Amino acid sequence: MKYIPDNTSFFHSQSAHCESGVAANLLSHGGLHFSEAMAFGIGGGLFFGYLPFIRLNGMPLVTYRSAAGKILKRLGRIPGVEIEQKRYRHRQRAMAELDELLARGVPVGLQTGVFWLPYFPTALRFHFNAHNLVVYGKEDGDYLISDPVFPGPVRCAADDLARARFASGALAPRGKMYYLRRVPAELDRGPHILQGIDSVCRTMLGTGFPLIGIQGMRLLAGRMERWPKKLGEQGAALHLGHVVRMQEEIGTGGGGFRFMYAAYLQESAEEMGDGFLRNCSATLTEAGDSWRHFAVMAARVCKDRPRPGDTYAAMAEQIRRCALLEENVFKQLRQWLKQ
Amino acid sequence: MTRQQNFTDPKIDGDLKTVSYIADDSGRQEMTPGAIWDPVHIVNEQAWREIEKQIESSRRKIAAGKRSPLHYHMIANQMNAALLARYTGQSSWRVHLHLLPFFFRRLGRKTLTNYADFFKISAEDLQSGRLKPPLYSRHEIHS
Repeated sequence: MKYIPDNTSFFHSQSAHCESGVAANLLSHGGLHFSEAMAFGIGGGLFFGYLPFIRLNGMPLVTYRSAAGKILKRLGRIPGVEIEQKRYRHRQRAMAELDELLARGVPVGLQTGVFWLPYFPTALRFHFNAHNLVVYGKEDGDYLISDPVFPGPVRCAADDLARARFASGALAPRGKMYYLRRVPAELDRGPHILQGIDSVCRTMLGTGFPLIGIQGMRLLAGRMERWPKKLGEQGAALHLGHVVRMQEEIGTGGGGFRFMYAAYLQESAEEMGDGFLRNCSATLTEAGDSWRHFAVMAARVCKDRPRPGDTYAAMAEQIRRCALLEENVFKQLRQWLKQ
Repeated sequence: MTRQQNFTDPKIDGDLKTVSYIADDSGRQEMTPGAIWDPVHIVNEQAWREIEKQIESSRRKIAAGKRSPLHYHMIANQMNAALLARYTGQSSWRVHLHLLPFFFRRLGRKTLTNYADFFKISAEDLQSGRLKPPLYSRHEIHS
């Protein structure tokens, strides 16, 4: 066992997704090397959910990854890894405790609302509250931030960061902050890889709840077919654009996290010397390509330049194709786990 | 006052360098640097066009005396009454009332300042209906 080294520089490595990037960077900084894909997979990050009763900017929530915090929660269960996590009621207290940790040289992970972060490009500043970043220092009243989806470290004024930590609305972070207390010097990843796969198989293949997993994809496909009738051409195009944004926005690595998970399976195959996982990785890449194919079609419709054949029925069919591909992969993986 | 203004530059998300997982010829996923994918530009632009439409419609309502200037600031910052109420610590029916000119004109100093501080504008600007750009298009350049 060893404690997190006491220094103020932070190892920033750019990632495709915020939570897995933060988790991997924090663990690597603590001395236990983790790639982003490995953190994403062991954390059981892959998911699908179509949750029309949660609204983002007035649109139904479609998510391709698990709820904010799940990756960290699962990684925190690894024996020897201790993650301290806190939420706050009061802004001042939340910022004071952050400063205290920074003064001790502890890099701190935060959940924030993107809308309030001035270093984000304007076009990406929507009210989206499940963004993760690491604060590793403070200088002249500005916080020094390692935001995993940015190429290099950035800065943010204290007032803006405080607003971002206490963003309101869906998925409000309520000042959530977390840091590593300790990490093991070495780790046998094998059993954790299996558990990570098992967790994703469960949610994707059936929880009895029809809005999530493969069932959720098919439900979305069915609803999508009826959008033009129900919402009108314009409303349907807006909803469609929203689905693509959730799938392809920075932080998904493209293909709605499917490529990232494929990278995880591939890395696991090497770690465990198992060729079967490599095949699954290839099928999941295919699923990701299939999602991207849907995005291309959808973007043409959103731009009002559909080609012949770009109908809502065809797009729904494309989503069903993704569902079938993923159903096969996860069924095979479930079988494989039983051996 | 109702000068036409575009808050977004279509290329504004284009200069962000991102990384994503892309399979090479042998099917190996590699983390690869790149820029934001074209279809994403299209759907982002679509979302912003929609926001700009809402802002325009809000300006018209204010000019016609149907809504108070607060309505513009709320819409321009992509909020609804419930969200604004949560941020300013009030009940949402109060915010709904303040969106109407009749009640807005009668707002006390304290409430006005509360709103103005939240939108980072001066209480005078808010009260007199100078429609300042939303929070996100005023950011200072940080390195």
